[in-house]
Amino acid sequence: MNRRQTIFRKPNSAALAWLLAGAVWFAMGTTWGLFSAAHLIAPELFDNISWLVFGRTRPVHVNTVIFGFVAPMLIGAALHYVPALLKTRLWSEPLGWLAWLAWNAAVASGFILLPLGITQGREYAEYIFPFDVCIMVALVLLIVNLVMTIATRREPLLYVSVWYVVGMAVWTAGVYPIGNVMWQPATGAMPGVLDSIFLWFYGHNLVGLLLTPLATAAAYFVVPRVTRTPLYSHTLSLVGFWILLTLYTHIGAHHLLQAPVPNWLKTLSVVDSMAMMLPVFTVLMNLWLTARGRGGRLWRDVGGRFVMFGLILYFVTCVQGPLQSLPSVQRVTHFTNWTIGHAHIAVLGFAGFIALGAMWHTLPGILGRRLFSTRLVSVQFGLLMTGVVGFFLVLSIAGLVQGTNWANGNVEYNTLPMMPPYMILRGAMGLLIVTAAWVGLYNCVKTIRRKERATELATKPVANSQ
Amino acid sequence: MKMTPAFLILGGLLIFWTSTFIAVILPAMTLGDEPSAIWRPREADEARGAQLYIDNGCSYCHSQFGRTFDWGLGRQRVAEQGDYYAMQPVILGTERWGPDLQQAGGEHPDGWHHAHFLNPRNTRPLSLMPSWEFLGEKNIEALTRYVQSNWGTLADERMARQRHWETQFVAAYESGADANVAFLHANVPPTWRAMPNPYPADEAALQRGQLIYQWYCIACHGEVGDGKGRGGLATFRGRPAIYPPPMNFTTLRRNLIEDKYIGGIFYYQIMNGITGTAMPYFKHELTSEKIWDVSNYIAVRFVGYTDAGLEPRGIEASYESAGDDGENKP
Repeated sequence: MNRRQTIFRKPNSAALAWLLAGAVWFAMGTTWGLFSAAHLIAPELFDNISWLVFGRTRPVHVNTVIFGFVAPMLIGAALHYVPALLKTRLWSEPLGWLAWLAWNAAVASGFILLPLGITQGREYAEYIFPFDVCIMVALVLLIVNLVMTIATRREPLLYVSVWYVVGMAVWTAGVYPIGNVMWQPATGAMPGVLDSIFLWFYGHNLVGLLLTPLATAAAYFVVPRVTRTPLYSHTLSLVGFWILLTLYTHIGAHHLLQAPVPNWLKTLSVVDSMAMMLPVFTVLMNLWLTARGRGGRLWRDVGGRFVMFGLILYFVTCVQGPLQSLPSVQRVTHFTNWTIGHAHIAVLGFAGFIALGAMWHTLPGILGRRLFSTRLVSVQFGLLMTGVVGFFLVLSIAGLVQGTNWANGNVEYNTLPMMPPYMILRGAMGLLIVTAAWVGLYNCVKTIRRKERATELATKPVANSQ
Repeated sequence: MKMTPAFLILGGLLIFWTSTFIAVILPAMTLGDEPSAIWRPREADEARGAQLYIDNGCSYCHSQFGRTFDWGLGRQRVAEQGDYYAMQPVILGTERWGPDLQQAGGEHPDGWHHAHFLNPRNTRPLSLMPSWEFLGEKNIEALTRYVQSNWGTLADERMARQRHWETQFVAAYESGADANVAFLHANVPPTWRAMPNPYPADEAALQRGQLIYQWYCIACHGEVGDGKGRGGLATFRGRPAIYPPPMNFTTLRRNLIEDKYIGGIFYYQIMNGITGTAMPYFKHELTSEKIWDVSNYIAVRFVGYTDAGLEPRGIEASYESAGDDGENKP
């Protein structure tokens, strides 16, 4: 009993638990993604195996990578660097663990219930009501913990990373119950077309107000540390932060441009989608100018390299995203694999890469020992970079093939014979991604189990630099 | 500007809730809620099917709204807000691997759906849809009822027409092979009955026809055109799922119109389908030449005769060489 208490009270133990959960769910979630991709190559590969049918593996994949991999890994890093930036300790480690338990219960429920066909069916909002409550409990506990950590801080200034992490928690605590229509526990939905407006407000803000702030916060933390330069501009940080919040919150309706929803909502979403380039470029410019002349340091650092590449893909995502919100572009891209490619560079390429970078960057500091293998981190990076870029290119091309055909009267069925080369390549790229996830998990576990005296590292000022 | 904790949290909440008010609360207050002209409530088994549709993630590959520029299923009418009246949830879909299903009710008879749900390759050889046999026949029937109700009252009209013709085609089928063909031919407009295939049945055309046959026809009509493809053999509730069964082309040799015409009939049946039977229309999917080519393929390979190049015929198209009629020896 005594020993257990020490585990849950040990400094940084909650952060480590969140990071490890992220690494585990990354491996599991992408594996289920590969199962889904296999269906699109050979639809009878898992013939009549109920829990592996495409309609059930896809939501397992999507929910696990968002709620299991990217968000927890970034939260884990934040639970380490937020107290560090405030020159204090996390207010309550047990509270961090409790939030971890509630959050991961929801992710695990997805792995068990969605394959059984127990789901609310709305994309990204599939978890049933009791587990929506779990997510909300976790968010509230995180807010309390963050606010109290700030209240007990010894550093008067709040660094920009802290803003984003706190913002993520308080905004997601609003987005989640609205999007999941938690006051309607049975269906988790609104009646009529209004339901789609709620759903896409939610779906888009999962990326916009959950993953993006967390990833931006991690990048703001990792980049100056690795390049050993102060942040370029406080003003640009402010501008990027407040404009992101103002614009991102109402662009979800660009998922519904071709659906029967009010035109003013569509107009608003398209205009503000284009305007999203402002906060994104502000943040990128701020980080770019911070690292100016020191890109080599980022590239040579195992964690910095992931963050650097994540920021490049953030740029790609956020040029592509606004452009594909234009109605004339969507006439071709909507409903096609183009959109799936976009989702993958946003969640895996941008937020996922930064999450991994933040994990490899913070893990030595959290554990007080070096990584098990920096070479394996590089292997993971190479596999993942090839996988996600290849995946994005293949699906973008496949999407254009589908979309231009459909626009010219070749219906969905007629484009099926054109798809096998793309779907096989997609599976191959997926295999690289899955391998990278398992390599990362192995490295993470080996690092945690590694027997190295903490003192060995204590003498080294920057734990992660090679 | 200094970011204090209070400024961060209160300012963040103020902007977030203002934006949220615009994005969801304002639409919730102003959207209104009226059923459209085609809306009707779902019956119990249709609602159960709708739940199965949600539970099994059908919405990840099928959308549920017709757009102004669609060409396939869903093009008859652009979706309206009122079509979704009282539905909860409304999952419009984000990706299309299969057709839009908002207007799918009555497109096919129930038997086609039963065979298709058991294994989609039973009716659509290229389909990527998973087999749903594991759901059991009761659930497949519920899913069928749901799909057949999509499009509200207009789907009901189509279903009434499907049932009307199904009775007649079943009766015709049970009255014997020749009487069945006679009935089928009698329901093709006269101009099509006396029309030869205007495309030459040369080797290249037959190869194209074979490809079309493999992509669209082989599941039901089978490798040798005898109607014993996997779809033709599929059973549902102990009976053939598709009934009347798919046409056995090899018996048609003795049923030519005026002892020589068959091409126009093939074309018409492929283009328009045979409502009341599992034979779908292909007018959305196949262009003119593809239909004529597959008609020639069926004629040459399975009937052993094609009327390609017979009179009446006009001037040859510029690319055709004179007398290039391929295998048209009766």
